[in-house]
Amino acid sequence: MNTGPAIAVKGLTKDFRIGLRGLKLRAVDNVSFEIPRGQVFGLLGPNGCGKSTTLKIILGLVAPTAGEVSILGFPFATTAARSRTGFLPEAPYFHKFLTGRELVAYCARLSGVKPESVNQAVEQALALTAMTEAGDRTIGTYSKGMLQRIGLAQAIVHDPELVILDEPTAGVDPVGSAAIGQMIKAMKAKGKTIVLCSHLLGQVEQVCDRIAIMDRGKLVLEGRVDDVLTRRDQNIITVENLTPEARRAAEEVLAQHGAKITSVTHPRRSLDDLFRELVTGSRDA
Amino acid sequence: MRISWMTRLTFLEAIRQRFFAFLILLSAALVLSSVSFRFLDFGHGELKFVCDFGFGGMFLFGSVLAVVMSAQLFFAEMDNRTALTLLAKPVSRTEFLVGKFIGVWLVLGVFIFTLSTLLGIILWARCQELTAAALEVGKAPPELSITGLFSYTGMQWARLGVVAAMILMVASLARTFLFTVIVGSMLVVAGQLQWLAQETLLKPGDLNLFSKLLLTVSTYIIPNLQQFNIGDALTLDHGSVAEGAVTLSLFSGACYIVVFIFIGSLIFRQREI
Repeated sequence: MNTGPAIAVKGLTKDFRIGLRGLKLRAVDNVSFEIPRGQVFGLLGPNGCGKSTTLKIILGLVAPTAGEVSILGFPFATTAARSRTGFLPEAPYFHKFLTGRELVAYCARLSGVKPESVNQAVEQALALTAMTEAGDRTIGTYSKGMLQRIGLAQAIVHDPELVILDEPTAGVDPVGSAAIGQMIKAMKAKGKTIVLCSHLLGQVEQVCDRIAIMDRGKLVLEGRVDDVLTRRDQNIITVENLTPEARRAAEEVLAQHGAKITSVTHPRRSLDDLFRELVTGSRDA
Repeated sequence: MRISWMTRLTFLEAIRQRFFAFLILLSAALVLSSVSFRFLDFGHGELKFVCDFGFGGMFLFGSVLAVVMSAQLFFAEMDNRTALTLLAKPVSRTEFLVGKFIGVWLVLGVFIFTLSTLLGIILWARCQELTAAALEVGKAPPELSITGLFSYTGMQWARLGVVAAMILMVASLARTFLFTVIVGSMLVVAGQLQWLAQETLLKPGDLNLFSKLLLTVSTYIIPNLQQFNIGDALTLDHGSVAEGAVTLSLFSGACYIVVFIFIGSLIFRQREI
């Protein structure tokens, strides 16, 4: 069994030619990173920073100008690599006349699921994405959240080792986003490698093991979430019933050890958590 | 296997389109009304007029359908970005294009064989009436070959297949639906007139080298679509068709389809989705 990285990108560069004079626009500039197997990897960056182009190159939809990409040990853009990969595009659009179940079955067949296993694979994918009940409705009647979930179902129906999700929570309400976050965690628990492009940084922080940040086509940061976010030179102590006298006493003790309190605030829960706590039963299904 | 699923999806998508329903209804109305216009037969036999009228409808609307639907189904996948989902799966660009082509060709088959069946019923019914009338006055009854009609339909289907493959080749290179339809339509017209180039080359004359080269190249690049239009000869005067003409035309059509799809897939492989 191949134990190398799920994705290895080395010196990836992509230039687009624009206009009649063929001016070059560098969308991806000498990007290199590796994604270990079984991890959730967040690819972040502002709009137009080259994330989607990088994903498209990895999927073989766009040819790189320079650089190398391998997926699960296979050269990218090969059938072998793509049959082990699932992809949910940004703002997915599917043939509206199909039902959700038909779409997932159709994608299962295109992905090479054996005919005798298609029904079982479809039902499993629909169950994991909570789309079993809505599976017989035509896609034209789905809400944005349901479109994302059926998109996720079509991406995982062939049980791929690698799942690439481009903005899976775009346009989805916080409850739906949290559900997608749970699905990502469930896939990780099954040993899948997941690449996640998202602007929901809070969610990325929660679900990702590693992140990479791109800006203007370049990779500006890459590493484990804990390593890049934790400030090792500072500590947070949460205290209950802190009176001014207790605070002064604490400051004196800390000063004796060469430390000082830089800020005292009240812990806050996130708006995301509050919203999810208050809004129940608004799921799309 | 994957091609068959691409084909199914394309066929389902195409058959649901209002444009297809509109054209098939319009063409059926034209074929049905041909009997009402038979007084405009310009001195030809009545069945020949009905035949020409029906074949004209099949030819014209079939060509429009082949051009517009092939381009539309291709660009719908690109513009709606459903191609992103499909091509991220282990589906090659060639399989995608071949699936699209077969799907469109099947829809064109439904179109052409439906109209042909309708025309066959009208011709047969009218032939019965004319035969009875001719026998009453001791004249020779009119000739009608239903087999010939369906041979012609098969040839028209092959012609539409050549057109669809040509449009998909153009679409794989083009950026917009409109460009594809315009260039595709021009190529169809050029294909209908290609026989003129062949005739000019065959005639002894003082063509300069450039004209000769241009005409020679055009006769190889552009398919001769006129070779498929021997409908009334097949249906009303089967004996006048040269032996092997149908087979040769079908073989030539098949070759053009393979070449166009091959070139189209080579171009499409370089396309950024």
